This record gives sequence, structure tokens and C-alpha cells, in this order.
Amino acid sequence: MAVNSLAAYNTYGGPKSIPFVPYADNGGSVVAIAGDDYVLVASDTRLSSGFSIYTREQSKLFRLSDTTVLGCSGCWCDTLTLARILEARLQMYLHEHNKPMSTPAVAQMLCTMLYYKRFFPYYVSNVLAGLDEEGKGCVYSYDPIGYCQQTKFKASGSSGALLQPLLDNQIGYQNMENVTPEPICMEKAMAILKDTFISAAERDIYTGDSIFINIITKDGIQEEKFTLRRD
Amino acid sequence: MFLTRSEYDRGVNTFSPEGRLFQVEYAIEAIKLGSTAIGICTSEGVVLAVEKRITSPLMEPTTIEKIVEVDKHIGCAVSGLMADSRTMIDRARIECQNHWFVYNERMSVESVAQAVSNLAIQFGDSDDDGGAMSRPFGVAILFAGCDEKGPQLFHMDPSGTFVQVDAKAIGSGSEGAQQSLQEAYHKSMTLKEALIAVLTILKQVMEEKLSSTNVEVMTMTPGQLFHMFSKDEVEEVIKDIA
Amino acid sequence: MSIMSYNGGAVLAMKGKNCVAIAADKRFGIQAQTLALDFQKIFEMGPHLFIGLPGLATDTQTVHQRLRFRLNLYELKENRHIHPKTFAAMVSNLLYERRFGPYFVEPIVAGLDPKTFEPFICSMDLIGCPNMPEDFIVAGTCTEQLYGMCEALWEPNLEPDDLFETISQALINAVDRDAISGWGAVVHIIEKDKITTKTLKTRMD
Repeated sequence: MAVNSLAAYNTYGGPKSIPFVPYADNGGSVVAIAGDDYVLVASDTRLSSGFSIYTREQSKLFRLSDTTVLGCSGCWCDTLTLARILEARLQMYLHEHNKPMSTPAVAQMLCTMLYYKRFFPYYVSNVLAGLDEEGKGCVYSYDPIGYCQQTKFKASGSSGALLQPLLDNQIGYQNMENVTPEPICMEKAMAILKDTFISAAERDIYTGDSIFINIITKDGIQEEKFTLRRD
Repeated sequence: MFLTRSEYDRGVNTFSPEGRLFQVEYAIEAIKLGSTAIGICTSEGVVLAVEKRITSPLMEPTTIEKIVEVDKHIGCAVSGLMADSRTMIDRARIECQNHWFVYNERMSVESVAQAVSNLAIQFGDSDDDGGAMSRPFGVAILFAGCDEKGPQLFHMDPSGTFVQVDAKAIGSGSEGAQQSLQEAYHKSMTLKEALIAVLTILKQVMEEKLSSTNVEVMTMTPGQLFHMFSKDEVEEVIKDIA
Repeated sequence: MSIMSYNGGAVLAMKGKNCVAIAADKRFGIQAQTLALDFQKIFEMGPHLFIGLPGLATDTQTVHQRLRFRLNLYELKENRHIHPKTFAAMVSNLLYERRFGPYFVEPIVAGLDPKTFEPFICSMDLIGCPNMPEDFIVAGTCTEQLYGMCEALWEPNLEPDDLFETISQALINAVDRDAISGWGAVVHIIEKDKITTKTLKTRMD
């Protein structure tokens, strides 16, 4: 390498190949917590690439219907495309079947949509949050190629690994002694949600600035903003 | 019916000057040659019954299938060209399974009817969609199903037009049967009453004597969904109306 | 897979009020295959001094023995117990000697000052770059999970009992989300006049 960098020693080293890198990692974290009659889903608002920040106020939540919100993190261009296609598919469903799509139906459709690009995937971690047909909160989490699992809570994105064990402990009552697991109320869920993002912002450079929280209940979707550290 | 034969009854995609598509109208006529099928929709569920024409004693009656399961929650009765009906039923089944695969939910009855209707009008010259059917399908279908809106009955004719109905008769005996249905049907009908009404009317319009070998009966209820009556079950009902 | 995650394992240490805690899991495995549930990663190096050595298991043991050797020489020569800060420097020095062929361990030192009983924690990378924060240090194959837990649970001036609860919850919940850490854990709480060692039961899958 050192020798080759001197112009005099430059030799023809065969055809040069430029690797095809179709993906970017734009960071971002999403956390969703489901309760009996509500579901919270939140994303941070920092959009970054490497050591630079593109914007400090980009929500990564997509409101798909009155009861369903999608949170995305990963490659932002894929996120935008996926969200737009999803929006179109929901509209088509509405026209074809004369009813809005239920959250479980969106969940299954997203799964097939991701799998149809199995060999050139959307580089996105999705968390789908919403109310099911009975009005109960539900969260679906995905890998980029369409694996889907229904859970009660999920942290994903750049801070997924930091936050998931905390949710296991605080919401899933994992490794807790002398407590009876009970569904948590919205106030407590909200407090835990904010705490997780505060923790994530401490250690993860791709998470910070602020968070957008969507509160989904039978009365509709409320939005809240909460400020995080900006460094 | 069509006294003025003209050039316009040849092409399937040519309107006559009066604004008619003769081939489609002929296809609707073709249904009237088919065996009779009757359906009644009640609040408890839907009943379908069809006559099976056993034209020869050497025929195996069980191989004539005029009521089919499309999905657990949708059943169809067909009348007209049986071969054509297979294509349409196949499409209905595929649409149902595809809907389940993509959305993990049961397809609504109306949507199935819509999907089959889309197939029914794809006749004429072949286009980008591939080889089209060269003529209209000679089939009328009764869709009986249960979805989130409860039990429903839809009727579709060869033009692809579909309507939701409370009770409907198709096939050769349809005119008489439809008249009887109008008299027999009322909103608060039970499934049992509908079952008896359907077979009574079928008996009236059939040429042969009604028996457990020459009818097919199906119920579609929210609890049991698609249920095809066995020979014994049919006999049980026939006993009551005889 | 990185050589640092060949055997798996996690260690963390936390400062409390006049006390420190150090904890580690007990798994020893080769990649995904678990071979033992009693592998020692934390070693007592003095009356108020512990070192945790997560990383490649063979280097855990080698580095421990080489440190014991140097520490013995130090204590014979100086005829006194080593200060944790000095010990950390010794570890750092030992690791940097192998700058271009390192031991694959990321040591964590936890202890109390022999005289003032001031809490001390220090972590290092595999070539000995030290880091001495005010709160907690983590190392091993599930650092992300540990950081998430510690960041949320830790607070300043924890009493020994609270510190034990905090470090235990942080470790257990973190290793539960790591496939190659866990299978039991051990916690040492170092106070001025006593050292409490507790073993924790965790999920074994």
C-alpha cells in the first residue's frame, strides 16, 4: 500500500472494482409498549449518518390508520419507500374491501411485503403498534426480511440492544421476585418509555435530540414531544 | 327473444346500435338451461340447495358437484356450464387464500364476489393481462358466506354483475322458484324454516322426484361455517317436507 | 466472529457509597456451545481488590496468573498491599507489553483504597487503555445491554444492599438478552470491613 501510493511505483493492478453499497445506516430508535386499552409508540428524532447529524427533528413514526402506527429505523430511504408503499396498500385495501385495515392485517401484510424483497431487502427495523379488533394494544416487531412476532413491548433500532433488557425487567417483570406481574397503566408505561430514551441518549450517538410519542387509544392518536440531550 | 338477428351478436366486444352486448345476454340465457339452485339468507345463516340432473342411471351422482367450498367461511352454488364454473371457483379459492396469506384474516363475501366478477368480465380480445377468455362465462353463482357483517348471500350472473340478496333462485326453474321464494321469505326466518322452504320450492320446480341422491344441500352458519349435508342429513330434511 | 466473543461472558462493576460491587456471569462456552457453568472471571487480588477478566477464556486464566505473579513480587518488594490505582497501572502495563499480540481480555478492576477506603473502579481495553468513570463500567459480550441497564438503574451513593440489588438486576437482565452470557452469576460487594460474595440464580437457556 505504502509503495503503491507513490506515483512512480504505480503499477497496473488489474481491473478496479467499486463495491455496490446500496444501504445507509441512518440510526434512530423506536420503542413501543402495549397496554390493555392503549399502546404507546415513540421514536427519537435524530437522523444521522456516521458522525454527522442530518436533522434533529425527523419523526420516524408513520400514522397508517386511526389505530395503527409504524415506527421505522435503519436506512432512511428504504423507510420512506416502505412507508409510502404501505400507505398506498392501505388505501387500496380501503377501496377494495370498504373497510379500514385492522392492525393484525397490516402486521401480516407488512410481513409479506418485506419477505417479497427477501434477496434485496428493505434495510429497516419495523415496529408496528396499534389496537386490535377488540381494542387491545398490540405490538409487532420485524426483522428486515419479514420475520414477525407479536409482543407486549419492543425496543428496536440503534438502541434496541440497550433498551430491550430494561423493558424485559420493568414491563415484563423478568427476574423480579415477590411481585405479581400485572398489566401496567399508561402513566407508568409513559414514565418508563421516557426513561429508556434518556438512558439510550447517554450512550448511543445515533439516538438523541428529542422523542415523538404517539398514544393510541380508542379515542384516537395523541402526539407528545419530549426533549433529550442534543450532544 | 331476439327476433332481429344481426351482425352484432357475434363479437363479444361489439355493442349493438341499441346498446346491447348480445353475447352477454345469450350467456345469461344459457343459465336458464342449467339446473336449479336456490339460496336463502337468514339471520342465523345461509342455506343453499341445488338440483342434480342425473341424466343416466349409469351416472355416479356423487361426482356431480354443484355446491363447493371456497373457504371455510364461503360456499358457492353454481348453475350453467359446469366447466366454466370450475375456473371461477378456482379464482375465488385463490383470492381467498391469497387474502389470508397477505392479511391473515378471512376475506369478506363481497370482496370474493368482486374478485370473481373481475374474472367474469375479462372476456374479449387478449390483452396485456395474457390470454383472455374468448366469450363470457356461462355461469351464475350464489355466494353464501359468513364474515364480520354476518351471514350474507350474493348472486352473480355472466355479465359479472353481483348483488346481495335475501333469497335467490338460478337455473332452469328459477322463474317459478323466485316467485315462490318471494312468498315464502320473511325477515325473521329461522335456518330450519329456510332449509325446509328451499327444499320445498326445489321440489316444486324439479322434473324428477326429489331424493337424497339428486339434491345437494349446504348451510353456512357463523358457528359451523361451511357444512355440506350428508345423504342421511338430506333424507332427514326431505322426510319433513314429504 | 470476533475472538473476543469466542467464549462469551460479561463483567461489570459499580461504585456505591463507601463500597464497590463487581459482578460477572459464570458461563464458559465455545461459541454457541455451553461447556461449563462455574467459570471464574473475577479474581480476588487483595483484601479490598478484585479484577474481572472477560474475553478469551485462556487469556482470562493466563492474565490472572501473570498478574498474581507480578502482584506477589510487588508485595514482597514493597511489603504492603497494593493500591487499586497502582494495580490498574500494573494491569495496563502488562497488557501494553503485548501491544501487537494482545491478550484478548478487557479487564475490570474494582476495589477500595487501602487507607482511605475510597471506592475505585477502572476498565481497560485489551491493550491496556484505562478508563476510570464515576459511575459504572461494563465489559464482555453484552456491553450494549449492560449500558442500557446501568444507565437506567444506577444512581449515586447507593448503600451496599441497594448496590447489590442494582448490580444484580443490571447483570441478569442484560445477560438474558445475550446468547453467550449468563448461566448463573456471582456478585462481590466490597465494603471497608467486609466482603460479601453472593451467587445469583438466572435462567439457564
